Amino acid sequence: MDGAHDMGGMHGFGPVVEPGGELPYHARWEPRVFALHLVTGFEGLGAGPGGRQTREEMDPASYLAASYFERWTWSAEQRLLRKGTIAPGEVEAMMERLAGGEAAPEHADPAMAERMIARLQRRVPMDPPPADARFAPGDRVRVSRMRPPGHTRCPRYVRGVAGTIERVRGADRLPDLTTYGLAAEPEPVYAVRFASGDVWGPGEEPPFTVLLDLWDSYLEPA
Amino acid sequence: MSAGHHHERAASAAELRAHALEAVLAERGLVSTDAIDAVVAYYEQDVGPQNGARAVARAWVDDGYRERLLAHPNEALDELGFGGMEGHNMAVVANSETVHNVIVCTLCSCYPWPVLGLPPSWYKSEAYRARVVAEPRAVLREFGLALADDVEVRVWDSSAEMRYLVLPLRPAGSEGLGEEELAARVTRDCMIGTALP
Repeated sequence: MDGAHDMGGMHGFGPVVEPGGELPYHARWEPRVFALHLVTGFEGLGAGPGGRQTREEMDPASYLAASYFERWTWSAEQRLLRKGTIAPGEVEAMMERLAGGEAAPEHADPAMAERMIARLQRRVPMDPPPADARFAPGDRVRVSRMRPPGHTRCPRYVRGVAGTIERVRGADRLPDLTTYGLAAEPEPVYAVRFASGDVWGPGEEPPFTVLLDLWDSYLEPA
Repeated sequence: MSAGHHHERAASAAELRAHALEAVLAERGLVSTDAIDAVVAYYEQDVGPQNGARAVARAWVDDGYRERLLAHPNEALDELGFGGMEGHNMAVVANSETVHNVIVCTLCSCYPWPVLGLPPSWYKSEAYRARVVAEPRAVLREFGLALADDVEVRVWDSSAEMRYLVLPLRPAGSEGLGEEELAARVTRDCMIGTALP
């Protein structure tokens, strides 16, 4: 999806280093909604594509206006609504109760807490590199021109650009399909390196290298 | 938005909504308050850049570990007990006299949680995601890092499933330091690539 989230190379966002930027968050609700997102996901309470994919569906103006953790609140709520776990209006009703001074309901379930930590520690690596991968380190490839309507891991800024296979990372199913529950066979994933001049054209900085991990489906021989 | 201005503008409404969402689910018994507390505590107390720093310091004092860390990062990090969510496929990229690595996720804010914890706000900012793939030296200069022109900057955009950790060069003059003292020199930003130890 060519949304506002695909921001590599955009202008106008200003400086990176600003006061407060060193901290992961600035208010207690922020790590809590982050944790809530993980817990609702692990407990199967949300539907549709995952949190990242759902956030990409935000309209661009809302995406850019929202803070990082506001996006997480939005995607958690959307997934819960789509599953029918919560009903439209339910969150607003609770907001009124809390704003009216009511204490927030709590619930204790130590077993759920243990399940969450075990889940965070679970290792799920991708499959090892296939022996018959189409490309090998050193091969020249070009990223296909494409305009995917849904989730993709291929940013706009490398489409149509030629690069060089750095290494074969492993084999994995194409997220562009699996996000939507569509069947996909494991395919090679490659680290591909690109020269800055090929990506951006001439610039003021000395040449540098940009590297991305790209699925075989995104690539053509160059 | 990398720092505070979004937060200050929107804090009350955003906070109330997030709070209400948790409360709705807790009232129904679908999400437990202690599960939320446990996940928050896990990333505040158990998992953070101290993990990555241990791996870096070990690699500095133990050539065998360094080789394993670069060749089989998942297994090498597992030796120290580090792995899991957002670290299922780790890659460790080593700085040298001629190469400087820096990591970003332009599409999202992907970050190696098991070794670095949760990312700083600037890593998630639009400015960093937009700029470091297009003008890395200008961004690094904001962090006070000026690299020689003949150093190759390698920017790793971790928008897929790989998660990256930068292995910095061991600082000159640190020969007498032990592993724990070395680990204390390794900051989070060194392992993202926006600082040097």
